[in-house]
Amino acid sequence: MATLLQPEKVLYLVRGEKKIRVPLSQLYFCRYCSELRSLECVSHEVDSHFCPSCLENMPSAEAKLKKNRCANCFDCPCCMHTLSTRATNIPAPLPDDPTKTTMKKAYYLACGFCRWTSRDVGMADKSVASGGWQEPENPHTQRINKLIEYYQQLAQREKLERDRKKLARRRPFMPQAFSEKYGLGTRLQRQRSGAPISALYGLSLKEGEDQKEITIEPAQALDEVEPLPEDYYTRPVNLPEVTTLRQRLLQPDFQPAGASQLHPRHKHLLMKRSLRCRKCEHNLSKPEFNPTSIKFKIQLVAVQTLFTLSGLTITVLQCVLALCCVLVPSKELVLSGKDAAAEYDELAEPQGFQDDPDVVAFRKSNKIGFFIKVVPQREEGDVTVAFKLRHDFRNLAAPIRPTEEGEATSEAIWLTHHVELSLGPLAT
Amino acid sequence: MPLFEGLGSGGEKTAVVVDLGAAYTKCGFAGETGPRFIIPSEIKRAGSPEAVRVVQYNINTEELYSILKEFVHLLYFRHLLVNPRDRRVVIVESVLCPSHFRETLSRVFFKHFEVPSVLFAPSHLMSVMTLGIQSALVMDCGYTETLIYEGVPILSAWEALPMGGKAIHRLLWLMYCLVFNSLLVFVTDSIPEDVVEDIKVRTCFVSDLQRGMKIQEARFNLDGSAERPAPPPDVEYPLDGQKILHVKGAIRDSVAEMLFEQDNEEKSIATLLLDTLVKCPIDTRKVLSENLVIIGGTSMLPGFLHRLLSEIRSLVEKPKYRDALATKSFRIHSPPAKPNCTAWLGGAIFGALQDILGSRSVSRDYYSETGRIPDWCCLSTPLPDSVYEAGKMPPPLMKRAFSTEK
Repeated sequence: MATLLQPEKVLYLVRGEKKIRVPLSQLYFCRYCSELRSLECVSHEVDSHFCPSCLENMPSAEAKLKKNRCANCFDCPCCMHTLSTRATNIPAPLPDDPTKTTMKKAYYLACGFCRWTSRDVGMADKSVASGGWQEPENPHTQRINKLIEYYQQLAQREKLERDRKKLARRRPFMPQAFSEKYGLGTRLQRQRSGAPISALYGLSLKEGEDQKEITIEPAQALDEVEPLPEDYYTRPVNLPEVTTLRQRLLQPDFQPAGASQLHPRHKHLLMKRSLRCRKCEHNLSKPEFNPTSIKFKIQLVAVQTLFTLSGLTITVLQCVLALCCVLVPSKELVLSGKDAAAEYDELAEPQGFQDDPDVVAFRKSNKIGFFIKVVPQREEGDVTVAFKLRHDFRNLAAPIRPTEEGEATSEAIWLTHHVELSLGPLAT
Repeated sequence: MPLFEGLGSGGEKTAVVVDLGAAYTKCGFAGETGPRFIIPSEIKRAGSPEAVRVVQYNINTEELYSILKEFVHLLYFRHLLVNPRDRRVVIVESVLCPSHFRETLSRVFFKHFEVPSVLFAPSHLMSVMTLGIQSALVMDCGYTETLIYEGVPILSAWEALPMGGKAIHRLLWLMYCLVFNSLLVFVTDSIPEDVVEDIKVRTCFVSDLQRGMKIQEARFNLDGSAERPAPPPDVEYPLDGQKILHVKGAIRDSVAEMLFEQDNEEKSIATLLLDTLVKCPIDTRKVLSENLVIIGGTSMLPGFLHRLLSEIRSLVEKPKYRDALATKSFRIHSPPAKPNCTAWLGGAIFGALQDILGSRSVSRDYYSETGRIPDWCCLSTPLPDSVYEAGKMPPPLMKRAFSTEK
């Protein structure tokens, strides 16, 4: 049932960059800062990569090399479903004896959803089940690499100039005698290519001079552009043969207009995220390495450490008036700690707390119910109660040093949370 | 060498390059030959069924901040799969982007994602970097506007026209409203924009000059004497798996005419180019007219470039331009990437220059000290040190400040 847990009814205020109100189930609790954290005030980091179809973990170095794509799985270029490899038997001549033919396995890719196969785009069947298919290469790669090299050379020169200027600025009082040695100053000295240059940057400059200067031919502009072919105006359009924009944009390098040029691409990976508190840089949530595991190595979620409010079961000391008056018990209420085993123990004896029956409704292991009176101030509308919940929190992280020396256990800290409870509309 | 980037022991990680367009965003890494992903610039929110556009200039800062934050989060954690804290960012953007948008974007990057540095690169300048030439006239036919900008070394003349893919979509949609009410079962209010875009991409094209002129005449001719050339065949476009939309042939070729029609001010895409040339200093005109670069997704319509060239050549004979422009030769470049990725590629090439990327970017420390990013239209930022001697170094790569040419 969607309304069973009703998480939106009880909201906690989180003071991050801006104040946001979030249910406790979506919050984390940093026990080093002793504060609530929401998804907005933690920094997200990429933890591990994995392929969504074969669920294989990929180390990040390999993922970077493969451009975050799985080596084995392919996506259908038409419908983006995962492709499966199918095998057929084709007759092929034996290497020893050309006259006899034997059945050999040939593999091709096929989509189970839209019935696309690799034979539609003209990809030949491969003789190995995986690793045979290559993605086509961008024809402009070489030109782009050359451009990058050329610009890197210019950038290097600019950096040298900048460094030299910095050096010049740092020592304005340099006597004239030294300027020759350091190669600073006038144009005359710079123009002499054979001049002795200081060891500071002499090495790189000398190397630069020996190195062949990379030049590229600038791009040539064309006078004429190919016009549309004449039959464009009269040829009927075969719509399934024309690629949609979405299909084109999946292959940014080629963006083919015809479906017969749509090549499959390797499947893109997904990643697992880990969360880190921005202030103290401790990890709040770290997932397991194995892609199939849903557990966490570190999971500092708020519901484990703080009180969960459901309905009206809370401990309250002070209250802040929102839309109504709330009369709360003025005494401190005691709650026993969470004991995992006691959950299953139906016949647990009462713990021996003396409860005022006017205040406390019921008590069971680590849950307590109590009464508060709510007096709405308005005739109609939704009733929202806002109050501050103050409780003590013992950091139960296991101390590294044993406590046999008689040290006190960790101090109890009093934490205050601002809670908002929406009680629903008034019955008219 | 690009092959060993990221595996080498020294050097920093490759920068992230993002081209945030009005319709589509191209994202990827520096030094690569193409963007990793081209995704629509919108996010899906739990509340509304329609996607929310990311590049909006008229909404208030808080809303824009949360939209941009969500979008950049998607970019990093679904498409690029890297940690934001490790890599510098190069943002390729239009010069006409409002400062408010740019500031909000940089706040998202610096405050929320804590990137080390951000560089805002003008898209037109970046496109010129892909060619290895000194200067060019760049026209960006995108979604919301067509913008012309003159490349290195001087930022002087620019022109813009609010006519682009969005206008084509609207026209297409309107044409359907008028024509199809009688034919089909459904009412035309439910054609979503991405269907319109798909129809445009798959079925529409730009006719050549003579045919285009005839179509325009036939449309505006009131007494019906002009003969409209025979339309191309109709297309049956399936919608939703149940209904079929008949795309009339007449619509297919006349929609793109809107880009070349001269409105009341006699402005069209072709005149945009010529007006820019007129604005430029005389001695640069010849160089610029022979180095035209057309980028942007709308220019990928079949027949667009050919038509543009013919329009320019015919317009230059008109009295308005004949005396003003002496040059008659026009040449178009073909950059080593598709027109919608050219600006991104330029940004990627620039981002690969690790020696100077750091010095030209706005670092996080600078941003936390001053709280804003330097802008080309803002006079309060000091001019950069003049690093270049005249004649020593070809293209002075521009920072976002006034160019200093000695």
